[in-house]
Amino acid sequence: MKIEKRQVDGKPLTVIVEYPEWNRSVDDLVKKIGRMDMSFVAKNDDGSIKISILDIYYIENVERKLFVYTKGDCFRLDGSMNDIESRAFDLGLVRISRTCIMNIEHLKEIRQIRNSHLEAVMDNDEKLIVSRKYLGDIKKAFKREGV
Amino acid sequence: MKKILRDTCILSALTILSVFAVSILWMGVTDEIRLVLELFGLSFIISVVNYLLDEFVSLPIIGSYILRYFAVTGIVMLFGFIAGWFYRSNFWMAFIYVGIVFVLAYLLDAVKIKRDVDFINRKIKERA
Repeated sequence: MKIEKRQVDGKPLTVIVEYPEWNRSVDDLVKKIGRMDMSFVAKNDDGSIKISILDIYYIENVERKLFVYTKGDCFRLDGSMNDIESRAFDLGLVRISRTCIMNIEHLKEIRQIRNSHLEAVMDNDEKLIVSRKYLGDIKKAFKREGV
Repeated sequence: MKKILRDTCILSALTILSVFAVSILWMGVTDEIRLVLELFGLSFIISVVNYLLDEFVSLPIIGSYILRYFAVTGIVMLFGFIAGWFYRSNFWMAFIYVGIVFVLAYLLDAVKIKRDVDFINRKIKERA
């Protein structure tokens, strides 16, 4: 793969992908680039803020309200779990329980507590409960990423 | 292999239903056909209950299996009494039938979970 960079004044950041034929690697590359640009508009006490999908650790539904968690902050989000899941499933946001969607980019490890819950450990050492039912979806997301 | 087994089960179920549908038209509902239809009905109810438990109950793995065991045994007993499968004296057989299925399901599930967790952790390490 050849990487070319050039500065062009007065234009937004533009990425051009040239490929001989569309294949899985190209698809993964385009998705990864797209992920860097996707963001959600969330709210906190100071007003609205744009949060890049890369900064999102997980999204939680608490009493029918959505909250998005970054490394150290929490914001309110409009929409529903299903909306977010369908918009961002290809981009690494995967449902891990009925009330939680996790960004696999920040996943450090999945732990199986003997005869008990499954636990996702994030790279900020926060722990999330993973429902067995959704373990297959996390696996699929990693397969799709082709890491 | 897993896909072949699953497809075999689905194909068998469809074949049984198709053959019995034709038989019902010719001979009506015989005892054998009624038993098979009752088993399909029971499987449907158990699948719905399993889905609801998955969706709305969050328990540790062992707790989840114990809850499912009693829920499914209860359904099998109730269904069995209505369908006339059990006599009052041998209702405890439901615990054994369901227990055997559950032990197998638990073992298969445990192996699958371990494999999935190992796969995910390996992918995370490769990514790092």
